[in-house]
Amino acid sequence: MDELLIQAVCGFGCGSSLLLRMKIDKVLKEEGITARTFCGDVGTAAATPCDVIFCSEEIAERLMSRAKVPVITVVNFNNPAEVKEKVMGYIQSLEKAD
Amino acid sequence: MEVLSNDHILTEVKAETWQQAVAAAGQILVDQGSITSEYIENMIEAVRELGPYMVLMPHFALAHAAPCEAVLRNDMSLIILDEPVDFGSPNDPVKVILCLACTDKESHMNALTKVAEALMDDSVFDALMGASTAEEAYEALNSFQESLQTVQDC
Repeated sequence: MDELLIQAVCGFGCGSSLLLRMKIDKVLKEEGITARTFCGDVGTAAATPCDVIFCSEEIAERLMSRAKVPVITVVNFNNPAEVKEKVMGYIQSLEKAD
Repeated sequence: MEVLSNDHILTEVKAETWQQAVAAAGQILVDQGSITSEYIENMIEAVRELGPYMVLMPHFALAHAAPCEAVLRNDMSLIILDEPVDFGSPNDPVKVILCLACTDKESHMNALTKVAEALMDDSVFDALMGASTAEEAYEALNSFQESLQTVQDC
């Protein structure tokens, strides 16, 4: 499998997406998963190549219809259990598909 | 290096609405000469347009807008409200607001990462929630940075 590309998205790609990306990176590190994470903004996220998008629910509503990859929502960016559950849920769905 | 300087922090801020709260956080940066008041309007408009997604975790909002000409230099401010306000988010009510102004999408990343690491630490955030002076909030934010530094030194 090629390196996984994970896009964290917020309104402008420079604020909250960075915080989300930090939390995703932490989970990946803990679980020993190699992936590349980066930040994106709601305007261009759907057109930016990646394997999966993580964002808040409000941002997801704007992306769902346009995104070609799974869009996964996080309510509390600082809840390690929630971020871990969602990241690992996605990773496991990939393993099943293989 | 300090995370946020004393004069960028205000506590016991009075606001009745989220708009007033965002404006109060932004006003610090106007007073510091880092943004023009147009940026405050942009931040409020961003919440109206995109929804309260900036309320990233319980009691906390990251107020910001896109990099633009109203941002004169990268800067951040922090306010702690006297009484929390609602943004219409599942993470309401909000008591702590970090206001972020950036001139582009990259150059502020290190500074924001540092503040975010402190804010997302439960003990730091609890201390901020209870801080009644800028000094207390400053101590909470920067003590965390010192402890990180110690860990790195080991």
